Amino acid sequence: MNTNNQKYKQKVTRANTIAKMIISFGGYGVIASIILILLFLVYESMPLIFPADITKDQEISSNSNEKVLLTGIDRYQEVTYLLYENGGIKFFNLNENSLIYKDSLQLNDGEKIISVDKGKLGDELFSVGTNSGRIITAGAIMKPQYNRGGRVINASFKQDDQFGISDSSSNTIIKKITFSENEDGSRFWSWLANARLYIRIYDADEGETYNYDLTSFIGEEKVSNITLSYQAEKLMVGTEDGEIFWFDITDYEDVQLKDHWKVSAASITSLSFLIGDNSLIIGTEKGEVQNWFPVRSQENVFKFNKIHEFKSHSSKVVSILPSPRNRNFVTIDSKGGIKLNYSTTNATGLEIEPTDKKIQAASLSPKANGLILIDEDNNIGKYFVENDHPETNIQTLFGKVWYEGYEEPEFVWQSTGGSDEFESKLSLIPMIFGTLKGTFYAMLFSIPLAVLAAIYVSQFSTKKFAQVIKPTIEIMAALPSVVIGFLAGLYFSPLLEQHLMSVFLNMMLIPILFVVAVFVWRQIPETTRVRFPQGADLIFTLPFVIMAFVITAVISTPLELSMFDGSISQWMYEEMGVLYDQRNSFVVGFALGFAVIPIIFTISEDALSNVPKSLSSASFALGASKWQTVIRIILPAAAGGIFAAVMLGLGRAIGETMIVLMATGNTPIMDLSPFNGFRAMSASIAVEIPEAPVDGTLYRVLFLTALLLFVFTFAVNSIAAWIGDRLRKKYARF
Amino acid sequence: MVINIKGSVSSETKNEMANENIIIETKDLNFYYTPDKAALIDVNIQIPEKKVTAFIGPSGCGKSTLLRNFNRMNDLIPDIKVEGEILIEGQNIYDPSVRLEDLRKKVGMVFQKSNPFPMSIWENVAFGPKVNGESNISNLEEIVEASLVQADLWREVKDRLTDSALDLSGGQQQRLCIARALANKPDIILMDEPASALDPISTGKIEETIDELRGKYTVVIVTHNMQQAARVSDYTAFMMVGELVEFNDTNTLFTKPDKELTEEYITGRFG
Repeated sequence: MNTNNQKYKQKVTRANTIAKMIISFGGYGVIASIILILLFLVYESMPLIFPADITKDQEISSNSNEKVLLTGIDRYQEVTYLLYENGGIKFFNLNENSLIYKDSLQLNDGEKIISVDKGKLGDELFSVGTNSGRIITAGAIMKPQYNRGGRVINASFKQDDQFGISDSSSNTIIKKITFSENEDGSRFWSWLANARLYIRIYDADEGETYNYDLTSFIGEEKVSNITLSYQAEKLMVGTEDGEIFWFDITDYEDVQLKDHWKVSAASITSLSFLIGDNSLIIGTEKGEVQNWFPVRSQENVFKFNKIHEFKSHSSKVVSILPSPRNRNFVTIDSKGGIKLNYSTTNATGLEIEPTDKKIQAASLSPKANGLILIDEDNNIGKYFVENDHPETNIQTLFGKVWYEGYEEPEFVWQSTGGSDEFESKLSLIPMIFGTLKGTFYAMLFSIPLAVLAAIYVSQFSTKKFAQVIKPTIEIMAALPSVVIGFLAGLYFSPLLEQHLMSVFLNMMLIPILFVVAVFVWRQIPETTRVRFPQGADLIFTLPFVIMAFVITAVISTPLELSMFDGSISQWMYEEMGVLYDQRNSFVVGFALGFAVIPIIFTISEDALSNVPKSLSSASFALGASKWQTVIRIILPAAAGGIFAAVMLGLGRAIGETMIVLMATGNTPIMDLSPFNGFRAMSASIAVEIPEAPVDGTLYRVLFLTALLLFVFTFAVNSIAAWIGDRLRKKYARF
Repeated sequence: MVINIKGSVSSETKNEMANENIIIETKDLNFYYTPDKAALIDVNIQIPEKKVTAFIGPSGCGKSTLLRNFNRMNDLIPDIKVEGEILIEGQNIYDPSVRLEDLRKKVGMVFQKSNPFPMSIWENVAFGPKVNGESNISNLEEIVEASLVQADLWREVKDRLTDSALDLSGGQQQRLCIARALANKPDIILMDEPASALDPISTGKIEETIDELRGKYTVVIVTHNMQQAARVSDYTAFMMVGELVEFNDTNTLFTKPDKELTEEYITGRFG
C-alpha cells in the first residue's frame, strides 16, 4: 500500500516535470521564433544601407612602356585589353597572367593615337583620333565560349571603318573625340581639331552622312571637353571658362545649339552622361564633380538643373566612368585619387586617396562589379567593386529624392520599369502613408460603430437582443478577408461609384432622421415610455431610417441632374479638383472597417461587461441615471479595455493584406483625399514579390517593408497588451 | 421539526410604535425572483423614522431582498415580480410616476462589500450630489466635508482628499461609502451587512458611525450578527423563509420574544 502510494507520487512528479518542460518549450519556442523572424528580417534588409567596398584582386605587369590610352574588361573579369598610343592592342588573361592575343590598328608611319572614346556603355566598340587627322573605329571583342573544359573567353579585334577629316592630314591633330552608336546602328562622332569643333553623323537607315562645323556656335570660348549621349540625341561641350553648350542632334539635317550656361569658374576637364542619357556628370580643373539633368521649367521647356555637387577631388578630374548598370560612376583625378559616387543619392560610397601615381586608363566591368586601372608604370590593377544596393540608403528609402525627369525632390515608389536604363525609385514613405491612410479611414468608420454598438449591447439592450447580436458580429470576424476584399473591390466599389449621390445623401439623412426619431421619442411622457418593453426605442427609430432610404431613392437622381450636371463624381473633379477613383479609400474604409469591427466590438463589449457590477450598483444607488452611470462610471472603468480593443483593431488594420490589395488600386500616391486609392505596405509586398529577384535591391526593400510592418504591428499590439495589463491590475481588487 | 412561522406583529409592539412616525410601510408585499418561488411572502412592516432598525434571520430568509426593495435595487435583476405596496413617506414607490433617481437619492444604500469608485476620495463623496445636479464647487466642498465628518472619516482623510479611494483600508472604504450615501442628504440609509467583511476594530468603528447617525437618519441595517443587531438597533425584525416572524423593539425581542421561533433563533438553537 505504502509503496504503491510512493510509486504514484513519483509518477505524478514525473508527469509534472514532463508537462512543465513541454509547456516551457512551447512558450520559449514562440518567443524564440518571433525573435528569429525579427533577426531574419533585419539580416535580409541590412545590406541595403551597407557602404560600398573595393578590394584589390590582383596586379599584373603589361611588360611595355608604351603609353596606354584605353582599357576594357570582359563581363567575367577574366580578360582585359590595353590599347597603346602606337595602335597596338593586347589582350591579357588576368587569371593566368598571360598575353593571349595581340593585334594592331593599321596606322601610317609616325601616326599616333591622340584621343579615344568608347561608343556604348559596357561595349567593346571605340573610335580613335590620330595626329594625322584620321578617325578610326574598331572593336575589341571578348566573347565567352563554352566547351567541355568550361568557359573560355575568346579575344579578337576588328578594325571597322575609318575616315580622314582633311587631305593635308599631316598637321591635323584630333585633340578630343567623342563617339556613339545608337540602337539603330547610326554612328556619331564629334571631335576637336585645330581649335574647331566638328560633328559627323552616319545615318544607318538612309545610308547618308552629315558633317557640320559647330565652331561658330561656341564663339570665343575655348572647348576643353566634349561628350555625346549614348543614344546620341545630345552633344555636350565644356569650355575652359566653365561653360556648358548643349547641342540637339535629333534632327540630322539641322543640328541646333539648344542652351548654354555656366557651371563653374574652372575649366571643364571631364564630361560624361550616365545610363539613361539624362544625368550629365561634370568634372572640373578644381576637382569639382557635379550632376545636372534636364528639368521641365515653368515655361514648359527643359533646362539642365544642378542636382548634386559631390565630394570634390583635390586635383583636376581627368576621367568619369559611368556604370553600365545603374547610376553609379567612378571619378578619377590627375593624382590617382578615385571616388565611387551614386548620382541619385549624392553619396560618395568609396574613396581611394591619391597615390601620386597617375592613372593612364581605367574601365568599369560590364556588370559594374569590377574595376581595371592602368597606372603610369603600365601595371594592370584589377579590383572587385562590392556595391550591391547603391540606389538605397536612409535618404532614398525615407526621404525626398530628386529623380531624373521629376520637377522636384519627391517621395516616389516605382520599383520596376520597362528598360535597362530605368532607375528603381524605392521610397517607402508612400507605402507607410498608404498603410496609415487606410488604417485611418478604417478606424474612422469602425471605432464609432464598434464602440457605440458595444456600449449599447452591454448596457442598454435587452438580453435577448444581445444574445443574437454578439455572435452575429463575432461571425463577421470569421469571414475570410479575401472575400471581403473581393466584394469590396469588385462589387461594392462599382456600385458605390454608380450610386455615389445616394450614398452621400444617405450619409447625411440617416443621422439627421435618427436624431429626429430620438427627439420624437423624448416627447412621449416618461411615465408612458417606461411601459414599453426594453428595446422599443430601437424599433421606434427604424421607420425613420427607412424613411431616409425612401427620401434618398426619390430625390437622388433629380438632385444629381439639377445640381451636379448628372454626375457628382464628374462635378467633384471639375469644381473641386477631386479625382474620384473607383477603388478608393472610402471603399477600403468600409471593407477594412468591416474586418476590424468584430475585434473592437468583442473586446470593448467584454471590457464594458466586465466593469464590476458593484460599481454600477453603487452609482445607481446614489440616484445616477443609466446614462450617467455609463458615462461617469462604466466608460472610464472600461476605457483601458476599449483602448486596447482599438489598438488591436489598429494592429489588424495595419497588417491586413487582402482587402487593401483588392480594394485600393495599389497606387503609391500620397494624397489624403478619401476618393483616391493608396498602396499599403502589406499589399506592396504581395504585389511586388514576383518582380523581385532573390537578393536584389527590391527583394531586400520588401524585406525592409516587412520589418517595418512587423515593428508597427508589434508596437501597437504591445501597447494594447500593456494597457490591458495595467487595467486588469487596477480593477483586480473588486 | 415543524416550524410554525405564521406569526403577526404583537399587540405590544404596536403600542410601542404608536409613538413613532412611520417612514416605510409595506402592505402585503410579495416578491418573486422566479415566478414559481416567492422570496418575500405577505410582508407587512412599519419602520419608524430616525431610528435604527435591524433585520435579522438565517441566510436566505429574505432580509436583504426586503432591504433592496426599499430603493428598488432589485429592479436591476431581470424578470422579478413585485406584489403589494411599499410606501415611503406615504408614497407608493412602485407607482409609475416615481422617478427611480429621486427615490434612490432619498433612500441611500451601503453595500455589504465596500465599493468605492476608482476615483479620488473627494470625487467619490461628491458623486451623488453631482449626478443629482449640484455643480457649485463651494457647495460641493461643504457637502463633502460634512459627509466625511458624519461618517467619522474626515480626520483620517482631510489631507489626502485627492488620493485614490482605492488606497484606503477596508474599514475606511466602507465608511467612505457611508459618507458617499450621506452626501445625497437622504432620509433613509439602507445598510446591507455593512460590517460583514471587516475585522472587529473596523466593525466597531462602523457601529460607532451608525450610532452617530441615530436620530438624524432612518437607518435600516441587515445583519446576520445578532450581537450587532442588539448593540446598534432600536428595533429589530426577525425574518424566516420570506416571512416576517416578529418585529419589536430590540430590547423586547432579545429578552422576551413573542414567538418560540424567535426564541430558538436568538438562543442559537438553529441559524
